This record gives sequence, C-alpha cells and structure tokens, in this order.
Amino acid sequence: MNKLENRNGNPVYKTIIYIVCIFLTVLSLFPFIVMVINSTRNTPQIQQHAVSLIPSNHLAQNWAVFNGKTFDPIRGFFNSLIISSGSTVCTIYFSTLTAYALVAYNWKLRNPFFTFILCVMMIPAQITSIGFYQFMYKIHMTNNFLALILPAIAAPQCVFFMRQFMLASLPLELLDSARIDGSREFNTFNRISLPIMKPAMATQGIFSFVFSWNQLFLPSILLTNNKLYTLPLMVSQLKGDIYKVEYGAVYLGLTLSVLPLFVIYFALSKYIIAGVALGGVKG
Amino acid sequence: MKKVLALALALCMVFSFCAMSASADGKATINVMSFTDEVPGMIAKYMEAHPDVAEKYDVKTTIVATTDGLYQPALDQALSAGGAEAPDIYCAEAAFVLKYAQGDAAEYAAAYEDLGIDVAAATEAADIAQYTIDIGTRPSDGKLVGLGYQATGGAFIYRRSIAQDVWGNDDPEFVAEKIGAGSGNWDKFFEAAAELKEKGYAIVSGDGDMWHAVENSSPTGWIVDGALNIDPAREAFLDLSKQLMDNGYHHDTQDWTEGWFADMQKNGGVFGFYGPAWLINYTIAPNCGSDDNSSYGDWAVCTPNIGFFWGGTWVLASKYVVGSEKADVVADIIKWITLDCDETSLQYYWANGTLNGEGGTKDTVASGTVMAMSNGEMEFLGGQNMFDVFVPANQYANGKNLTQYDETINTYWRDAVRQYTSGALSRDDALNAFKQNVADNLDVEVN
Amino acid sequence: MTLQKNKTFSYAKYGYLFSLPFIIAYLVFHLYPIIYTAILGFTDCKGLGNTNWHILKDDLWKNFRTILNNATFKTSLKNTFVLWIMNFIPQIVLALLLTAWFTSKRNVIKGQGFFKVVFYMPNIITAASVAILFNVLFGYPKGPVNDILVSLGLRSDAYYFTNNATASRWIIAFIQFWMWYGYTMIILISGVLGINPEIYEAAEIDGANDWQTFWQITIPNLRTILTYTLITSMIGGLNMYDMSKMFNNGNPNNSTLTTSVFIYNQAFAGSYMYNRAAAASMIMFVIIAFFSVIVFYLMRDRKS
Repeated sequence: MNKLENRNGNPVYKTIIYIVCIFLTVLSLFPFIVMVINSTRNTPQIQQHAVSLIPSNHLAQNWAVFNGKTFDPIRGFFNSLIISSGSTVCTIYFSTLTAYALVAYNWKLRNPFFTFILCVMMIPAQITSIGFYQFMYKIHMTNNFLALILPAIAAPQCVFFMRQFMLASLPLELLDSARIDGSREFNTFNRISLPIMKPAMATQGIFSFVFSWNQLFLPSILLTNNKLYTLPLMVSQLKGDIYKVEYGAVYLGLTLSVLPLFVIYFALSKYIIAGVALGGVKG
Repeated sequence: MKKVLALALALCMVFSFCAMSASADGKATINVMSFTDEVPGMIAKYMEAHPDVAEKYDVKTTIVATTDGLYQPALDQALSAGGAEAPDIYCAEAAFVLKYAQGDAAEYAAAYEDLGIDVAAATEAADIAQYTIDIGTRPSDGKLVGLGYQATGGAFIYRRSIAQDVWGNDDPEFVAEKIGAGSGNWDKFFEAAAELKEKGYAIVSGDGDMWHAVENSSPTGWIVDGALNIDPAREAFLDLSKQLMDNGYHHDTQDWTEGWFADMQKNGGVFGFYGPAWLINYTIAPNCGSDDNSSYGDWAVCTPNIGFFWGGTWVLASKYVVGSEKADVVADIIKWITLDCDETSLQYYWANGTLNGEGGTKDTVASGTVMAMSNGEMEFLGGQNMFDVFVPANQYANGKNLTQYDETINTYWRDAVRQYTSGALSRDDALNAFKQNVADNLDVEVN
Repeated sequence: MTLQKNKTFSYAKYGYLFSLPFIIAYLVFHLYPIIYTAILGFTDCKGLGNTNWHILKDDLWKNFRTILNNATFKTSLKNTFVLWIMNFIPQIVLALLLTAWFTSKRNVIKGQGFFKVVFYMPNIITAASVAILFNVLFGYPKGPVNDILVSLGLRSDAYYFTNNATASRWIIAFIQFWMWYGYTMIILISGVLGINPEIYEAAEIDGANDWQTFWQITIPNLRTILTYTLITSMIGGLNMYDMSKMFNNGNPNNSTLTTSVFIYNQAFAGSYMYNRAAAASMIMFVIIAFFSVIVFYLMRDRKS
C-alpha cells in the first residue's frame, strides 16, 4: 500500500491489522466464554440474564441434573468418538486414495471421473436425507453406527481438496523410484504418499471430524436406541422437557460436547498454523 | 500410519457391532418412548414397587426430545415399523396428542378397553377431567386410547402486593371478580388493565400470556372438515393483542424469553400470568427472583375470566400390545399412571409432590378424586390451597377445539399477530399472510 | 519404448482399482437416495408410514408445479439467495484480506498462527447452539444487545430486532459470516502457499508492492481454489437449515425462511407431504447445479 514500506513493514498498517485481528479474536472466543460461564450458573440466572461474564457456583448442581436424565456423557462421548473418528478415517483415507488414483495414474476414464466428482460435489447431501433414511431403514441399518460411518467413504469435496494438494506436493518421480525398488502400488501409496499428505489430511481431518461430531439431524432419526446416542444428541435431549428446561445443564452439556473437539483441534492445529499448499492447476 | 488406520477402522467395526447386540437374558422387554424422562421415571417407580413384574420384564426407554421436531418422526417410524422394537407405551404432548389419539397416527393406538381396562367405571371412579377424555378418544370407533396424569386447566396467577396497591384487596375472589371471572370475555380484564396502568403496572407480560386462554376457549379449532377455520374468538385475538399493545397494558415480551422471565420478579411490574399449576412450579417459582427482588409468597391464583388448559402429557399403548403376553403389565402400568386413585397411585404421589420423596413440586392431576384427597397448599402462594381454584378450572377446559396441526399453525398465527401489533402489516395483510402460510405449508384447504 | 507403454497400461488398472471404494460408496449411499428422492417427487406419497404410493401417471409434474406456484417457496428461494449473498460477500472479502495479511512476506504478522487457529473456532460449535445464543443476545424487550444500546444512550428504548425483517436477515448473515470466514481463510491460505514462490520473488525484484502482488499474482493464481470456495459456500449457503430454523423459525413474516426449512416443513411440520418435499429438493438441486455450472464456466482456466 505504501511504496516506502520495507521488510519490517509499515507500523501503521500493521497496527490496523492487529486491531482487526484482536477484535475478531474476541468475537471468536465470546460464545465459548458464555458457554463455559453459563455451565456454572443455574437455570433462573440464565433465564434472567442469558449472557454474563461472571461465573456462578452451580456447576455441581448442573452436573447433578444429568443423573436424573438419560444423559451419560461417558457413553455419549464414546459413541460420538466411534462415529466421528470412523467417518473421519473413512473420509480421509479413501479421499486420499481416490485423489491418488486421479494424480498418480493415467487411465482412460480419469478425466471423466474427475468431472463426475466435480458434478456430484454440487449435490447437497441434506436434501436427500428422506431417501437416505428410507433406504437405511429398509436394509435394517438404523441403530447401527455403520450407517453414519460408511457413507463418509465418498466425500467429493475432500477428494477435490486432496487432489489439489497432491498436485502441488507429491513428486511423481518419487513413485517411480519406489517402483524401481520393487514396491507394490498399494504399498507405495501407504508408505510414500500418505506421509507426504499428512498436512492436508490433518486439515481435512479437522473439518470432517467437526462436521461429523456436530451432526444432529441424521443421527437423531437413525439412532433411536438411547444407548447409541451421540453426545450432541444427548445434549439436545436435555432441552426436551417443554415446560422446564435446565439451561445450566444444557450449557454444561454443550461445554462437555465441545471439549473433545478442542482437544482434537488443538492437537492438529499445527498444520493449520503451518498451512498446506494447494496446487492451483486444474489439470 | 497404515496400522493405525487399520486398527482404528477395526475398532469402529467392533464397537458398532457390540453396541447393536441387545440384552438377551430371557426377559421380555417393554419398550417405552417419550419426549421427557417424566413417564420413564414413573415406570421405574412402578417397577420398584412391583419386583415380581421387574423380574419378568425389562424396560427399554427411548427418549427423543421434541426440540427440533425430532420426537414425532422417530415415534412415527417406530410405530409404523412394528416388530420387536415397536414402542409398547408412548407419550404425546398436548401440542401433538391429537395426531396420535385422533389423527393420522391414531390407528397405531390400542383402545384402553382392549387392554382389559374397564374404562367407563374407572374414569367415573377417578373423576377424570372431561377434556382429557375428549382428547384421548379416537373418533373412528369412539374408544378411549389415551389419558393424561396431569390436569392442566388454567387459572390467573397474580401478585398479591400489586392487587393491594391498586385495589387495596388481594383476595382471590375479589381479584377474580375484577378480571371478570367466568364471564367468557375480556371486558372486565381490560378495565382492570386500565386501573393497573394508572399505577404503572402491566396486567400481563406479553400477548402470549393471553393467547393460551384465547386458544383453548374458542368453540372451534383451526381445521374444520379439512379446511382452515379462523374461529371468531381466535381472530379477535388480533384486536385483543393490539389493544394491549396500543394502550401499553403489557411489556410486549414473548413467552419463554428473558424479558418474560424477568417479569416474574418482584420488580417485574407485571400483575399476572395465565397458566396451569405447572407454570407456577416449573416457571414462575424458579424465576421469582432472590433477596430484595424476590416475589416468593406474593402470589395467588384465582378463577380466570375464560376457561382454558395448557399442555399436558397423554399416555398411550400401541396396538401391537393387544393380545401379546405384555398386555396385562402394560395395562396395569397405564392404569396406575392415569386411572388409579388410591394413596399408592401415581397421581396421588404426583399431586402431593411425593413421587421422589417428600417436598417435591405439587401439581394438579387428572383425577378429581385424587385432588380431593390431596393438599394443594403452597407457601409460594402465601399458603393458598391452589387446588381450590384449579379443580374447577379443569372443568372449564375444552378438549374439542384441538387439531393435529396446532403446533405449526399456532406458530404462523402468533407471527402474523406480532406483525400486526407491531405495525409491520395491516390487519388484512396479517390475516392473508397467515392464510398463505397455512395453504403453502400444510395439506389443508384455505378458502 | 514398448516396455514403457506396457508399464503405463498395467498401472492404469490401479487408477480404477483405487477409485472403486469411492464409486461403490457413492452409488450405494448417495446416488440411490438421490434417485429415490427424485422418484418420490413424481408420486402421491404423503402421510405417515405410507407404503402404498403410486407414480402420478396422469399428471406427472403435479408436485413440481405445485411447488413452483407456491408463494412461500418463492419467498424462501429469494431469502436463501439474499442471505447467502449477504454473508458470502463480506466473508470472502475478509478471508481474502486476512489471507493477504497472513501470507505477506513484507509485513510479517506476529502471532498469526494463533489468529488462524482462533478464527476457525466459531465453526466448532453447532450452528443450532450459535443460532439460539444469538437469538438470546438480540432479545426483546430485554437482552444483552438492547441493554447495551440503551445504557450507552444509543437508543431510548429497546429495539425489536427479531421482529424486523432486515435486522433479522443481517443477524443471520452475520452469524454465517462469522462462523465461516475462518474456514474460508484457511482454504485460501492453502491456495496461496501452493503458488510457486518464484513468481513472488520475481515480482519482488520488479518492485511490486503488497497491493499489486495481491491483485496481479495471488488472485489470478488462486482461481481454482476460489472456485472451490465459491461452490462449496454456495452449496452450504443455499442449503442453510439450522440457522434459519433455530434463530427465529424463518420469521418474522417468513423473511428468514430458507428453502431447506421450507422443505423440512413440507415433510415434517404436520402434513407429511414427502412428495412435495422431494419435488422441492429436486428443484433446489437443479438450481444449485445450474449456478455451479455457471460459476465453473466463468472461473474456468482459460489457458487450458
């Protein structure tokens, strides 16, 4: 912006950037703060003043509400973990594999297949949920986690992302030299490509895990056995009583259901900080 | 990396298959489906009291919250599928009970008499409020398929100190007279509102407080012969709400929002709320404020100008139970919850707040017989026995103006009314917007 | 040479083989439900647990016509586009700005790793919880925002945000914007990192400033990723459900009703008109596909 700026940058310009960034940080953290503080407040306090920055002392009381309800955070956590990690692993692994097929090999239907993926990327998954549910019901896959895990194998958006990353980061010569060493194709993929793909896999892994963890509509119609409920489903149950909603417990539940996401997110966040390079070539 | 992935996948598979396998210890299972833990909690108490039954039957509870509209699709699917997973006992809330007792899903319900319950004698002995029977009766064969345990007839719940300040009298009979108790109209209510306004008080918090009274006192419901029907009493709500708004007789809050809850405190400046007993226990009491700002003990209930009811849960059994080995047990559980009226019946515990030990919240129940045996005195109401007002209130309630679309249609109606009172739409435009919504979103004719 | 050719040929089968899991899963779990939904749109399937439905032989397109003539559907369609544009434009602008800031070699921002991590965080909470939180924030006549406005003297009385069409739309657009700009930024930064650094070095030698570098190098080279962002955002935005449903149930006066909520209402809010819901879903699919193709066409790499 300024012809005079040097490598250290323009202090005014940088100050503006910091102010904007700090403002956005406050905005981003705000709901989490509200959530955590509200889990220490009781229902009337929340009903009277939904947003407060002063914690109260009703945490134990809110926790006690869970005992009376079918809220079992441990079980819910494991159910959610199985579904989310299962579907994330499926999405990441098979999307990378599909992207590999698109990048590493020269096959006749390669371009038509890529066009196909671009097309189906546009089909929104939500609108077909009626059909999906009826189908799962017919083949007796309701109350089965696989109904929520296996569809994740086909994730067109993730394939696209992986392909772009692979184009930029996977040197094909490496594959050739592996072949000369006698490595078999599937092994080459697992041993050589996957490690290179780590940053992209981590980034997509976060997106996919968060999406799967927070899913509510499909699990709620597919899982009717409360032993199989996911954590967010259990939280939505807490609001179920029409006349008497225990808001303190709801917020505590929300906080609990976000905690695991935080752990995963921060564990993988170094890849977000470093960033992943995506190839811009369309091919 | 590969090993980790493989392990993770394998673990997923194992876990999901383990999770599927049901308990197979030879006991029969009673499936219960509900939207809160209230009825499942009752059934657990029943099992505690009947170890012989608990020995033979497992109870499998499925609770799906009504929030986000999830309960009904789940219940519908389970009912239409049948089989071993089908619910044996299920619950329906006032907002959608019609669908299960009289509407699209009524065919899945078992008639109480087919379970071996002597309906006529039992309802007579328990003195069950007529409106709960009306709602639970299936029109196709005239048989009773569902009953509630609560009675949710409404009263006017007001602040004693404000009545004292304005009229120098806080007696329930005096206040009832002031708001035109039993008159069936709103004339005296608005006179009282004007007097309260002079002293700086609002008679109600928002128009939602009035709506429940209007809704359930109208002679006809939203649908008549498959077509939308705007009962004159309900249409008048547009004008009543506008009148409240234009004169500043309320605080223009929306029910279940911060402003509404805050109006229950001592400094809230609101005279009263229309509601059933549960509104006192579940909503007003926890929100009455604390310390200097507490309205605890400052409340009383009186007969409302218009009879109505609000909410309630109905208990149904599915048709799959009839003739099965479970029929007797299911019948006995349902009878214990909805019809029994001795001192070990659910309703007796419920009315006296003793289901989970002494000191629980007291509530009005469907059986008049139980209410007569119970004590409705509450410190929160300055020692008033609330049953004196609520028992007759249940008789005023009318169960014949409900339709299975009420929940949806009410949402459209309340928004249209808000548009009109806030001045965003004219009266005609608001009515048209409402009709348009019903026509476009529901399978209902609009003329 | 022949050997080489044979080799390529023999490797080609792996292309098919490795794509197979994706294709099978897609056909079974995605395509079948889509076709099923499409077929429902041509039937009389409505009502609860209805297994006895038929194709509408005498008037095949009846449901589609009903939906296209449905005033509420048209309103919801308009809202959906308006809400998406209202959130997408600020979102992409801010995301591009942050991308430019965080990838600038000249003005290195300290703590940018922290900012990147934090900006994505709103996306971690479920949309439904966020919608409810914001509904409470903008409560009337009492709510944190109104309390602040009144106590600062900016307004003499509380403002009924959720009863005003424009205000409600801006709030929803803001929430969407706020939830997704971090995600968009992460994707865009990835795109920039993929641009050959030599191009930047050449530009620097030529004395280009940040502004010029951004417009003349970053944006043109980011085209594929921008297309990706635009299309995924459009798919997400045009399918917005939770926000509209949970913030104010599409009110006031249907001004925040999206097509997804409309479809849900057709299917579940009382009348179980699965056929009409399916027809509306298919109409939405055609609309989204149409716009995606246009975006692809406009953003295509003209060199190749």
